[in-house]
Amino acid sequence: MKMLPGRLALSTAFLSVAACTSAVAKPIAFADGTTVMAEYGAGTMTEFQAFYAPTFRYSLGGGHLSLNSAVNDATRDITYFRVNYLPKRWNFESAQANVFVWGGLGRAHIGETGDDQLSWNAGGQLDYETRRVYASLRTDYHDASAFSHRIDTLQLGVAPYEHDYETLAIWFVIQAREYTGDLFDGTEWAALVRLFKHNAWLEAGATREGKLQAMLMFNF
Amino acid sequence: MKTSRWLLVFTLLASAVHAETIEMTVNGLVCGFCAQGIQKTLRKNPATQEVLVSLENRLVAILTQEGADIPDADLRKALTDAGYDVKSIERTQRSMEELRSTLKVKK
Repeated sequence: MKMLPGRLALSTAFLSVAACTSAVAKPIAFADGTTVMAEYGAGTMTEFQAFYAPTFRYSLGGGHLSLNSAVNDATRDITYFRVNYLPKRWNFESAQANVFVWGGLGRAHIGETGDDQLSWNAGGQLDYETRRVYASLRTDYHDASAFSHRIDTLQLGVAPYEHDYETLAIWFVIQAREYTGDLFDGTEWAALVRLFKHNAWLEAGATREGKLQAMLMFNF
Repeated sequence: MKTSRWLLVFTLLASAVHAETIEMTVNGLVCGFCAQGIQKTLRKNPATQEVLVSLENRLVAILTQEGADIPDADLRKALTDAGYDVKSIERTQRSMEELRSTLKVKK
């Protein structure tokens, strides 16, 4: 794997985050909770996910990921089943940190050839949040005989005020994302505003190239 | 004398069936989803009348049904199973309105 300057920056940022305890955003919201999520990633990725968590330790569900290369004509449509697991959580007085891992199987449609292949996926996330700052590092890997792609996403967020359950939470977020497998060249930077209250979450912003980056999430 | 004795009996009976507030200090409360999950868990208990969560005060408060209580072990288990750590449990006579007002929590 070639070490791009952006990748170095991501690695450094990750180490900084890990050093100050660890890093947020969760594939398991709460016990007996269902999470539905949709993300539009600046034209390169679009993903829908739905998970049900019988306990706070794990959730089961599936998703659909569409990848459109910004470098060539490659497209992948991956429909998958996934299990998310929370091996470690730290509950501090005014903070929480988590380690999530996940894996699953799916079916991938390769746009260039029209082939359908069995695919598998694995990933993980480190997150840390207080009511004023948060950081998360997430990696998602998808593999089939015709391709392998990894999507690494780092988010750092700051809230202008400490929200409570009955108040609207506002976060200003910087996101850095890298794709392997010729999907995007370099690091994709985005500035986002995240709003959430009760069970609804909306995050929207733009990448440095001026493309829309947005996410919607509901927990119930 | 007889009147004051009856008054005492009445007061004791009234307090015995009065709804109680259980106030718990909880670690790890940082976002609305935490509060939502805890409310969902605690509302399943038939002894629960109302649940209030204050992230600011790390507080989870339960107003129990009249004459009902929830044992500490059940409370700790419910919160632990929801993914949080209970640091203390206290039973008070503060009403939910009083708590909201003191903690400045909106309804």
